[in-house]
Amino acid sequence: MNWEFIEKYLPMYEKAALLTVKIGIVGILFAILVGLICAAVQYYKVPVLRWIVAVYVELSRNTPLLVQLFFIYYGFPKIGIRMSAELCGVVGLAFLGGSYMAESFRSGLESVEPIQSESAISLGMNSRQVLGYVILPQAMSTSIPAFVANIIFLLKETSVFSAISLMDLMFTAKDLIGLYYKTTESLFLLVVFYLLILLPVSIIGSLVERRMRYAGFGD
Amino acid sequence: MPDLGIDVLFKGTNMLRLLQGLWVAMKISIVSILISMPLGILVGALMTVKNKVVKAIFRVYLEFIRIMPQLVLLFIVYFGSTRALGWNLSGEVASVIVFVLWGTAEMGDLVRGALISIPKHQYESSEALGLSKIQTYLYIIIPQTVRRLIPLSINLITRMIKTTSLVLMIGVVEMLKVAQQIIEANRMSSPNAAFGVFLVVFVLYFFACWPFSVLARVLEKKWN
Amino acid sequence: MKRKAWRNVLALALTGVLALGLTACGSSDSKTADAGSAAAADGKAVYRTLDEIKESGTINIGVFSDKNPFGYVDENGEYQGYDVYYARRLGEDLGVDVNFVSTEAANRIEYLQTGKVDVILANFTVTPERAEEVDFASPYMNVSLGVVSKDDNVITSLDNWNADDSIIVISGTTAETYLIANYPDIPLQKFDSYATAKEAFENGTSVAWANDNTEVIAFALQNEGYTVGIPSLGSADTIAPAVSKGNTTLLDWINDEIVALGEENFFHADYEATLADTYGLDYEDSLVVEGGKVNAQ
Repeated sequence: MNWEFIEKYLPMYEKAALLTVKIGIVGILFAILVGLICAAVQYYKVPVLRWIVAVYVELSRNTPLLVQLFFIYYGFPKIGIRMSAELCGVVGLAFLGGSYMAESFRSGLESVEPIQSESAISLGMNSRQVLGYVILPQAMSTSIPAFVANIIFLLKETSVFSAISLMDLMFTAKDLIGLYYKTTESLFLLVVFYLLILLPVSIIGSLVERRMRYAGFGD
Repeated sequence: MPDLGIDVLFKGTNMLRLLQGLWVAMKISIVSILISMPLGILVGALMTVKNKVVKAIFRVYLEFIRIMPQLVLLFIVYFGSTRALGWNLSGEVASVIVFVLWGTAEMGDLVRGALISIPKHQYESSEALGLSKIQTYLYIIIPQTVRRLIPLSINLITRMIKTTSLVLMIGVVEMLKVAQQIIEANRMSSPNAAFGVFLVVFVLYFFACWPFSVLARVLEKKWN
Repeated sequence: MKRKAWRNVLALALTGVLALGLTACGSSDSKTADAGSAAAADGKAVYRTLDEIKESGTINIGVFSDKNPFGYVDENGEYQGYDVYYARRLGEDLGVDVNFVSTEAANRIEYLQTGKVDVILANFTVTPERAEEVDFASPYMNVSLGVVSKDDNVITSLDNWNADDSIIVISGTTAETYLIANYPDIPLQKFDSYATAKEAFENGTSVAWANDNTEVIAFALQNEGYTVGIPSLGSADTIAPAVSKGNTTLLDWINDEIVALGEENFFHADYEATLADTYGLDYEDSLVVEGGKVNAQ
């Protein structure tokens, strides 16, 4: 192991990790937004829109992010839609993540039995109170495990951004291998940085999950 | 109607090659699935064992594999391991190794989840009914586990097929690489080929995965 | 409940430590490989000698599959181009079949060092840094760097660069190394394959594309609306076949072969078969290197 090399290129990895995290966070936020809208549309069975959402969910879940990105980044400009690589990454992540988030929210909402809202209404709550105090808290605690899994999944998926020339962790490692032929060192740093990003998320995720489950079922 | 460059695919053997590219990806996922299913069941069963050491080892394996992006694993096996261990792996073999490692971890977790989701009273009731341990597993536990497991493992197949798109990055000539080659060879005659060809790749991937998703959903509805 | 949560955290932390440990071990093992370059950890050579290749009946040759007109795949799925034409002849004279392995620029050294191919014929420019990692045979083509840009904004100089603009380079090429060393302030947009780089250049991602001048000239000739504003940049280099470090039997054979091919003016024939369509005949004598001897220009 060549530590000099590692020290020299550490800043490059830090920059790359920052980019990975930045695009990851923005992309995930948009994915949550898309997911919330889609889940709401499906939960309230909005006419027409629910069919559009259904088609979107199928398309998004049954195609790889890499292919989605290739299509958006290299194909779209041919019909006049140009995006920077960063924007393309965010759009791709939101497109892919939106359907995963929607599914987790929807299954959460559907897990709350109708009798719960019926009872709440008979207790004199209005529909906003029913949603805020009865449905959402229970739905959230059911959604959390899938939600956390989705976040880890989406952060991992950012590794394919290298294919659209974003200088993320993966690309930095590939580039250094190509430039200086230091395969082992480059891969070592790659693994370390991914662990640094993903391990805390995974740990926090499992802690939150336990908390929420405790709150939800009280056992 | 602007030229979207789909016509490129009807030149020479282009469409056929694209489909062959898809088949390369499918083959890698099918082989990996066939190997990871039994291994995953074994690992999942072992993880329900009370032994702390066994549990810890599998926990570490599972977490590492699931936390690392598959692309990183592919690079470690394809570039890292060939150097460290001095063997020569083709891109296809490296992919199968990574997908088996990953598939086994995912499958193991599914199996563990399915096993512990069987309520304790099922075991107790069958014991009370005078069933032997083997009978309990054969007639009570395994049938229920399998029903929970099958839809989930079909979903895993979909995920694997999708993930095979990554093998492009370790030099396997699969559908995306063939698509690039077609676009490149026809750059002059069909400048917009990138749109049409990548659109077709997108659609082909969709039709490779979608039937599995539908099947998983149908089975899940039927059995739950 | 709480205790279980902590056990989980502990397991996760352990994972990290173990993973690092494993990687570190794997890495220290490979130190020997780094030092010996082509020799693996257990001292066994990763490459196949000339006799082993002949015995197997197939030679693995790494070529580009998306670098028209040097190495690409035509609409019938056949490899074509200047490098490929030469590769076919190599196989023919060795009496073995050629198995073409599609490679990207950044993987070329890696493929030789891990024995994934026997020879690289992927427009591989000879540089001192690369020569430390692999063995180059005699050259068969001249090359230097060039920069192509759009007609409406022709770049003729890299000095006084506008920091908002970027240049496209392909990861692992001499253009990348040269620009990093000589123009560190120019933002680079890096791609890992010729296919993606050209696609992005056409889509207007960057104002210019820096690569081997042969390739950018070909691009400007093949595609309307582009001009090579900087036809020659950096030093005049050569392109040569490369084999794994220490694979002398194969290296010697290729060198002899190149001399023999020079007598029949093979590379001129190669040029006329594969490059003349793009370049015309004007570049023939300046590009082709015959018999491994570079003429002073």
